[in-house]
Amino acid sequence: MIYDLADLRVLIRNEYPFTTRFCEKYLSEDQESPYDLIAAPDPEDFENEQKASAGYSLGYIENICIYRNLCLQLPSLNRMLLHAAILEADGAGYAFLGRSGTGKSTHTGLWLENVEGSYIVNGDKPVLFFDEKEVYAYGTPWMGKEGRGCKAKTPLKALVFLEQAKENTIRRLSPSETAMRLFSQILLPSDEKNADKTLMLADELVKRVPTWVLGCTISEEAVKTCYTAITGKKYQKKQ
Amino acid sequence: MKIKKGFILRNVGGECVVVPVGEMSKSFHGMINLNETGSFLWNFFTAEHTADEAVAALLGEYDVAEELARADVERFMETLTKNGFAE
Repeated sequence: MIYDLADLRVLIRNEYPFTTRFCEKYLSEDQESPYDLIAAPDPEDFENEQKASAGYSLGYIENICIYRNLCLQLPSLNRMLLHAAILEADGAGYAFLGRSGTGKSTHTGLWLENVEGSYIVNGDKPVLFFDEKEVYAYGTPWMGKEGRGCKAKTPLKALVFLEQAKENTIRRLSPSETAMRLFSQILLPSDEKNADKTLMLADELVKRVPTWVLGCTISEEAVKTCYTAITGKKYQKKQ
Repeated sequence: MKIKKGFILRNVGGECVVVPVGEMSKSFHGMINLNETGSFLWNFFTAEHTADEAVAALLGEYDVAEELARADVERFMETLTKNGFAE
């Protein structure tokens, strides 16, 4: 079946029903027109993932492999996977990054509680798209174990690396500092063309989008510190 | 010495990084971060060259004492050979 993912028509070839249900909100109304690419599990990857995700259903494992296969093809279409939580507030998208367990869900959860109109575009594995000037983040069906996200597209206005701390502090990162932190959060294809393109897109990302590192506690104060810096606006608690 | 095929060197946000591609990505995981001299030498050694040639090239490119250039070249060549990047 063909799905509308990140403004692409993607033909997904799955054997197990898991992915059909998983992606149903993204099913294209137009199943006739040509598709942009095919996403199917790579047999070798499927075998490896069965070992890595022992105990999970084959449908679930196939679903992981389908997304990986899709994302490895995206760079040539000016898109790439980013491991981050994307939140939108006042029409601007913000990416929160950090190793698993750093508190992306907790911190973005505090935004949802305190910032009017904020919502999660993708809680874990958004796709970024680069046009001539801007970077956008898309919601996709793959959005992490908590399943936070929706079918949306938002212009990316900041990257925020999260670090747990005793006090709330925020500072800008240079493009080169960002590059070094970014590598563990992107998927690098092994074919030369897409690997090369991924590095080009990463270069564009660190040049185009301002990056910050937020040392944060679990508090509204952390949201205020972050909001004030990255939006440049005065913080006002949601009524 | 010559650097093996299967690596690409790119500039990301001002950082020079080398990553493995194709077959090489199966045996080598991760990335290498090079400074300016390292990046110059990496490009130089993508073709077969000797240590002396690399020292001469460095001296032609940078205002640096010969002993220092030689020490850089030797350390670079040793690191690359030891880690399987060069043959």
